Amino acid sequence: MRIPDEERPLAEAARAGDQTAFAGLVRLHQRRAYLVARAIVTVHEDAEDAVQEGFVRAWQAIERLDPNQGFGAWVNRIVANAALDITRRRKVRSTEELSDALQSPFRDPAQDAELKSRLAEALAQLPERARSVIVLHDVEGFTHMEIGEMLGIPGGTARSDLHHARQKLRKLLKDLRD
Amino acid sequence: MADELKFPTNGAKADRDSLDESLTALIRDAYTPEGGDAYWAGLEQRIMARVASQSTSNDTGWWSVLAPWARPALVAAAAIFAIAGVVNTQLTDSDEQLAYESAFPTPDVVSASEEIISVERGTDGATISYFLSH
Repeated sequence: MRIPDEERPLAEAARAGDQTAFAGLVRLHQRRAYLVARAIVTVHEDAEDAVQEGFVRAWQAIERLDPNQGFGAWVNRIVANAALDITRRRKVRSTEELSDALQSPFRDPAQDAELKSRLAEALAQLPERARSVIVLHDVEGFTHMEIGEMLGIPGGTARSDLHHARQKLRKLLKDLRD
Repeated sequence: MADELKFPTNGAKADRDSLDESLTALIRDAYTPEGGDAYWAGLEQRIMARVASQSTSNDTGWWSVLAPWARPALVAAAAIFAIAGVVNTQLTDSDEQLAYESAFPTPDVVSASEEIISVERGTDGATISYFLSH
């Protein structure tokens, strides 16, 4: 993954303990980190908790950052781990909660209500990991290998999960697509 | 909706099996918090507040002044502990020796030999000594 030009000096300064530089890294990467977390935990509040926790952990371990690796990929893995920790703590996540999450005020009210409702139901019926994989790959554009690293599974498993998740999602949304 | 190639965002390699653009856009929209830039500015502030509190709790405690001495202090403490252990062992050994000797006195070699001689001399020796002294 390409490292943004402005990232390297910020990462170097942050490694030296510069909090202002670290804030610059947060500004650069928090949106994508949020979507990574949201793909895993699905609920906005949990996703924000995971992002905050992930960036705090990143700051605590900033001296271990390899500037050549890129802060974004590194922090996304940390945020994904924080999100997975949250899902382990709150293992029981009902379908209603996911539907509520997708129908929360965070969505665009102009979108077709029925489609959104069906999408929420369909995503809720996917296994947790399959849902994460499909969002991270098809929506966020991460590679199988990157998703595998984030979720702690082999890249081949991520690819397989993705294939099955797409099939199931298409089947669930079939009548809407016809 | 048709099975179209997904829009090539974020460097992902598009493939024929991908979800179509309208569906991914819908999911992305559903997973994007409202509030726009104000939300992200607020999130950044919340993150940095936690980072600052972490740094404060880690760096400014009175104990942080002593932090550089932690390793030498541990080494010194371990050395003192080891020396104290050796000294204690030696003192315990000498105390045990004294206690043993007080309970079981070591026989005096010289007095033992004199006892044997006196036994061997018997009463004849005492008689000879009596006549010689008179």
